[in-house]
Amino acid sequence: MSDSNVRATASAGPIEQRGMGFRSRPHRRSDAEPGAVEAFTYNDAIVRKFMLATVVWGLVGMLAGLFIAVQLTVPQLSFGLEWLTFGRLRPLHTNAVIFAFAGNAIFTAIYYSTQRLCRARMFSDLLGNLHFWGWQLIIVAAAVTLPLGFTQAKEYAELEWPIDIAIAVVWVGFFGVNFFGTLARRRERHMYVALWFYIATIVTVAVLHVFNSLAVVAGPLKSYSVYAGVQDAVMQWGYGHNAVAFFLTTPFLGLMYYFLPKAAERPVFSYRLSIVHFWSLVFLYIWAGPHHLHYTALPAWASTLGMLFSLMLWMPSWGGMINGLLTLRGAWSRVVTDPVLKFFVLGVTFYGMSTFEGPMLSIKSINALSHYTDWTIGHVHGGALGWNGFMTFGMIYWLMPRLFQTPLWSRRLAEWHFWLGTLGIFAYWISMQWAGITQGLMWRAFDDSGALRHPDFVETVRAILPMYWVRAVGGSMYLAGLAMFALNFAMTWKARPAQYDTPVQSAPALRRGYVDPPTPESPLTSVMETGKKVERFFALHWHRRWERLPFRFTVWVVVAVVVASLFEIVPTFLIRSNVPTIATVRPYTPLEVVGRDLYVAEGCYNCHSQMIRPIRAETVRYGEYSKPGEFVYDHPFQWGSRRIGPDLQRVGGKYSHDWHVRHLEDPRQMVAGSIMPAYAHLLEKEIAFRTVQPHVRALAMVGTPYSREDIDGAEEAARVQARAIAAELENQGGYAGLETKQVVALVAYLQRLGMDLHAAPEEEPETPAAAAMKEDGR
Amino acid sequence: MAYRAPDDAGENLMDHSYDGIQEYDNPTPSWWHGLFWASIVFAAVYTAFWHFSEFSWSVHDMHRHQEAMHYKKLFGALGDLKPDEATMLKMMSDEKWRMVGSTIFAANCTQCHAGDGGGINGPNLTDDAYLNVRTLEDMYAIVTKGNVPKGMPAWENRLQANERILVAAYAASLRGARAASPRPPEGEVIAPWPAASPIPGG
Repeated sequence: MSDSNVRATASAGPIEQRGMGFRSRPHRRSDAEPGAVEAFTYNDAIVRKFMLATVVWGLVGMLAGLFIAVQLTVPQLSFGLEWLTFGRLRPLHTNAVIFAFAGNAIFTAIYYSTQRLCRARMFSDLLGNLHFWGWQLIIVAAAVTLPLGFTQAKEYAELEWPIDIAIAVVWVGFFGVNFFGTLARRRERHMYVALWFYIATIVTVAVLHVFNSLAVVAGPLKSYSVYAGVQDAVMQWGYGHNAVAFFLTTPFLGLMYYFLPKAAERPVFSYRLSIVHFWSLVFLYIWAGPHHLHYTALPAWASTLGMLFSLMLWMPSWGGMINGLLTLRGAWSRVVTDPVLKFFVLGVTFYGMSTFEGPMLSIKSINALSHYTDWTIGHVHGGALGWNGFMTFGMIYWLMPRLFQTPLWSRRLAEWHFWLGTLGIFAYWISMQWAGITQGLMWRAFDDSGALRHPDFVETVRAILPMYWVRAVGGSMYLAGLAMFALNFAMTWKARPAQYDTPVQSAPALRRGYVDPPTPESPLTSVMETGKKVERFFALHWHRRWERLPFRFTVWVVVAVVVASLFEIVPTFLIRSNVPTIATVRPYTPLEVVGRDLYVAEGCYNCHSQMIRPIRAETVRYGEYSKPGEFVYDHPFQWGSRRIGPDLQRVGGKYSHDWHVRHLEDPRQMVAGSIMPAYAHLLEKEIAFRTVQPHVRALAMVGTPYSREDIDGAEEAARVQARAIAAELENQGGYAGLETKQVVALVAYLQRLGMDLHAAPEEEPETPAAAAMKEDGR
Repeated sequence: MAYRAPDDAGENLMDHSYDGIQEYDNPTPSWWHGLFWASIVFAAVYTAFWHFSEFSWSVHDMHRHQEAMHYKKLFGALGDLKPDEATMLKMMSDEKWRMVGSTIFAANCTQCHAGDGGGINGPNLTDDAYLNVRTLEDMYAIVTKGNVPKGMPAWENRLQANERILVAAYAASLRGARAASPRPPEGEVIAPWPAASPIPGG
């Protein structure tokens, strides 16, 4: 295809100016001289690799999900093994599905479509391979370290620091360079909307990952977040929420914008809508993070921003849905017969439903009911299974015949996959909404006398167990569909030709000195110049220019994303009134630090919150609501997001040591009907006393006021406290010989939780100098 | 039959094509614009009311109000109780207040003392042997201050005085009840409570 041909087609349409004014117009282009025509091929081998990884990790991640879902009804399924407890496997499931399954799907989409949209081979085959193998190694590292209890305990950012560094290198150094290199070498002047979404994905994920993961290293696989308490919560949910935005939304919108019109063979509904919803989405999404923290110790203004920006996000999200669904106008008859389009239609519809439910759940009063319940779990699975899963399946069903260069093995099986998957999602989503609303209502129910109707927490767990079974059935159906998909994939691959055909493409290189077509005059006549300028701005011609300037485009994406950080994160860090100091809140003792490390390692935050909201039913059940100043030494914060078990913020002093040890050894021995896994290994394993000092020192580096003596004496202090607790334990119930066991450290931590609020004030400093220092510090 | 869009003739199809993908120059739907602007206006009004007007209240104000109403509902009829023997006896025999005590017990005590008071790793409350308790006032004292070294938590920062009196009265009223799997007696056998307390199901 010669360049003159391209130009001839491009300017073939009628010339008069109508509609929004994006029509082709006669104009002179200084690059009328076409560049030299170049021959090249697309690198599809790398796309096939990512595609295979998507299928494999999808199976692994969702099997892990099904396993932990069943564990919640049959807790014995951890078999008493520390590596198989819910707290350690749930991060494995979420990381596998998000970063391994969806991640590889994103790379499949980007590596396939970017080459075609740029009419250029990927910048570097080597970087592509490094990206592929690097990412798979990261996944394997995650699959090994998470069950072993190496975690930073921040949701969807659990991986420890060496893996975090690897992620940054692979994402920015291999993937980012490869992608932007391809953009730089493109032979298509303007960037299509799919590429805008890819740009937003790459830069924003890089920023979020780096800033959320900042930590001080305390050991080969141990680190402490540099942020504490409220600040850590804001950073984490700025990240957590925007992992949803920029890992599970923007790249999939890019995927949709390429593969859906390709499969439907229809033009995209509205270019103008693409522009408006792209920029509004990118700008608004970042702000919405605090909606994960309503009614917590977060300042009220941040909570309000989180809610309002979530509501404002409703339409920008639906802009994507509209552009997807309306692109199918004229192709609906094919939706009936084509499994690819079926998956896309349902995927986009689930996107629409999730992005309606999301803003709704972000409304504070609704969130008061839904937060900490399974409603949230249902919500994310509607998005993950429906939107991410189905868009991925649609894409791969479309890619298979093209990349394996042979017809799909079984269309019938694909149909079965579609229907099983769809029913599975509904079973999952509805059962979790049901469970969430049921449990939320039970938590807040008072009887006529004013007492809690369900004072015993485990009652509210027993009530939703039937829904857990429905969820497991729904998940099994979805997984069965996935297995059919994998079979179809394998059989289609098997029928591939001995040698793939690699057609040679040709396109003219881009030339420098391109001049944009002149912006048409504003049709407004009887208004001031400013009015005309405003009219021209909304006509969006300027955007056409941006689309050929990737650097400028990327800079503006970064600006759009960073603005929110300036308004939300910076004030949370700098304004003191956001986190009023509480004089009686003291740093953890060295043994409590060990206990907290264990709490983190076991992933207790996956089931227990440490955040009592100022809601009466909650303060009756758990005690005084949480204050921001109580968390200033919490690196990382452990507020949690789901109460599968009760809140633990004020569990300190509520039970005896003896009760805790018995309960950890076998929860059902103390609480009939409990679904908590047994932690008997904590009674066997030794405390790693030699790590106490480096850990305390690292905590001092992130700002905990430990003195030099505190650090030097940390190990001895830990031993002394452990002996004291072991003696108390023996005195209480007969457990003996636990003074070096991990359980003692965990008990020390649990007994400290929430106690400082009512602690006696510290004694007055003895010397005037110390008093003066204290005064200064204030 | 394929749905034929009004613009299907291609007249507002734009001139560019990316790998064969073309785009229409359709305007954004008006209801879309409408809702988007409505959400922005709502955000402004909401912020103005909740953060810049004197009519608003905070979640903490709301909680204070709820807490006051709750205590009024719970104990409005009682006033501030005194932890003396007479009050305890009254609360042990009054079925309504005994029920309130039982819900406090269910929320806080059953995990060590069992739902029926028979004891799990906490002492049996149904027998006549007691540790640290000789009188009904002691019952209140042990709930309030606990016996932390031996494992009984102190409840003074967790429960209101009235709640502690009611739960202590309820716990005392369990004496003599039948437990499913009682722990063996611990401590010393003490004299019966001053007046016979009714023991439902005992």
